[in-house]
Amino acid sequence: MEVNSRNIKLWSSIGPRAAFGLSALELVKKYSDLMVLTCDVSTSAGLDRFRKQYPDNYVDLGIAEQNMIGVAAGLASEKFKVITTTFAPFQVMRCCEQIKVNLGYMKEKITMVGLASGLVLGNFGYTHCCVEDIGILRSIPNIKIISPSDSLETIKAIEASLNDEESCYIRLTGGTNNPIINKDDYKFEIGKSIVLEKGEDILFISSGAILSECLKASNQLRKKNINCSVVNMHTIKPIDENIINKYSTKAKLVVTVEEHNIIGGLGSAVSEVLSKKKNSPPLLVLGIRDEYSKSGSYKFLKEINRLTSEKIIEDVQKKINE
Amino acid sequence: MDQDQILKDIKNFSKDVRKIILRMSFKAGSASAHVGGALSMTDIISVLFKYKMKNLNKDKERDRFILSKGHACLAYYSALNLIGKISNKELDTFEKDNSNLAGHPVKNTKLGIDFSNGSLGMGLSLGIGLSISSKKKKENFNVYVVLGDGECNEGSVWEAAMSAPKFKLNNLNVIVDKNNFQQTGKNFDIMNLDNLSNKWKSFGWDVEEIDGHDIVKLKNYFDKKKDSERPKLLVANTIKGKGFSFTENNNDWHHAIVTEKLYNEAMKEIK
Amino acid sequence: MSNTQKYKKAFIEGLGVDEKIITDKLKYNDIPEWDSIGHMTLMSNLEEAFSITIETDDIVDFGSFKKGMDILGKYKISF
Repeated sequence: MEVNSRNIKLWSSIGPRAAFGLSALELVKKYSDLMVLTCDVSTSAGLDRFRKQYPDNYVDLGIAEQNMIGVAAGLASEKFKVITTTFAPFQVMRCCEQIKVNLGYMKEKITMVGLASGLVLGNFGYTHCCVEDIGILRSIPNIKIISPSDSLETIKAIEASLNDEESCYIRLTGGTNNPIINKDDYKFEIGKSIVLEKGEDILFISSGAILSECLKASNQLRKKNINCSVVNMHTIKPIDENIINKYSTKAKLVVTVEEHNIIGGLGSAVSEVLSKKKNSPPLLVLGIRDEYSKSGSYKFLKEINRLTSEKIIEDVQKKINE
Repeated sequence: MDQDQILKDIKNFSKDVRKIILRMSFKAGSASAHVGGALSMTDIISVLFKYKMKNLNKDKERDRFILSKGHACLAYYSALNLIGKISNKELDTFEKDNSNLAGHPVKNTKLGIDFSNGSLGMGLSLGIGLSISSKKKKENFNVYVVLGDGECNEGSVWEAAMSAPKFKLNNLNVIVDKNNFQQTGKNFDIMNLDNLSNKWKSFGWDVEEIDGHDIVKLKNYFDKKKDSERPKLLVANTIKGKGFSFTENNNDWHHAIVTEKLYNEAMKEIK
Repeated sequence: MSNTQKYKKAFIEGLGVDEKIITDKLKYNDIPEWDSIGHMTLMSNLEEAFSITIETDDIVDFGSFKKGMDILGKYKISF
């Protein structure tokens, strides 16, 4: 698929799930041994066209995630390129042990795409939100974890993961009209974070759709003469220690922002890096504060979990003034 | 080949497996071993490895075996030793530090161990993936999965069971080693499976039930030409600990230590 | 190019179909190409062709070739 401004706009408007579905149609032309496995979510993953056009490359296991991972592992052991997908909580948690044994322990290579992670399905309640996936998977060896910032990055991450030697979990966040972070084509490399802005005062590290709130916050802070670096840490495992070390050296404060529990996710991963340094600046971890709030729209949940640019700025200024 | 000779060979293989199971358990010492469940499936694995499974020493079109009830690995390692995949020296490392042969199978394709099993309820899904692959790639290999009866408590078994008929996996052969016990007691008392054959039948499988220690019946079962598109399920009625007087039907032998005294007694019995 | 021609072209390219498929009677989901993904591509093409941004409610209401022409009237596109 050509990466041009028109397509970038289209992919943003259809959202990361449909962008994933569209990219699957292209990937199967390139990799004839691609198998896509789902749990009754073809339409939720933009895979309805794929299902109809490539029935031999599509396997629906019904609402049975544990079986899906085992079947995927069997196929992967026979050298098929395998993508599994369902909603993030079910993709990661319902079949967690199968993920540990098949992907982690046996190293059967599979790309797992977690749909609608974070808070975007907030109206359905937290059974359909996922703020635990990164924390859970980080503790299973041999699995890379990627949180793409926009639809274009989603498409790039999925193809990159198919060519990686390890299993990958790709965490889709945001919905339709997903803010565009990457306005032009660029080189995406698993494990290599992207510095979007440079500034000496504060280092923002974020990933996923919520990165757009960091960029807004950074813009506003610049007007108050607080200059921020903003790093798109799309790969949370393995985390880009080099960039964290380089950009935290002079920063007065490091701020991580994630649509995830502050325990176990990106913030925790960054703290693990900073704690190895002799001198590191204070770290402010912003995210879900280890609780399940009331449900509501994506916008509402971002507000009450203090993940809007306004609330991020408030919390940053409070920390600076401590 | 002469049918009588074939049966004799399988029976001898089975005897050898039992000897190796006891020897490995004895050598494992205080690490102890899952003896009972290995002995109950010994005749099943003997018919498969000595007779039924094809191309075991090749790479292509090799029949696949999955020990979903991974704790019975002593039978599996013994069979792999007898077909030349695992050396005697390697066998002696069972459950020792840094060993390739752990108390549950750990994937090691050089030794013929295709998958890591042990967490119950996962093997059938793997088998389904393999069977689908075999058909897609037109590679013509069969897949054999051995489950435990207690293992059928796991919901993941039934997710897999429900899906196999959908894919018309007539190259998938599942054997339930029905020895009526699980770790802490009888299935009937812990979680009654009731009529296991009927359950699998109702899920769309081609089900039969036979004595899991009758080599003739086992061989005949695997010899039968089955026309249906349905995956196959054999409920093999077995005795946990079958083969030695002190282990048979004694659930203490789910996982226990084989002392030198017991080992010597056992070798006398099996002569 | 007239607005009608532009409109038709957006359909042809957006849905990836032959000109003869695009008739007055064409409705969303009538053809496999006009599914939810095809719809968004079509909207994107129309926005570019007419230099407009179509509101979400209008995207949802845009259920047929004919209805679409009415909707575009809101954006001062006449046919």
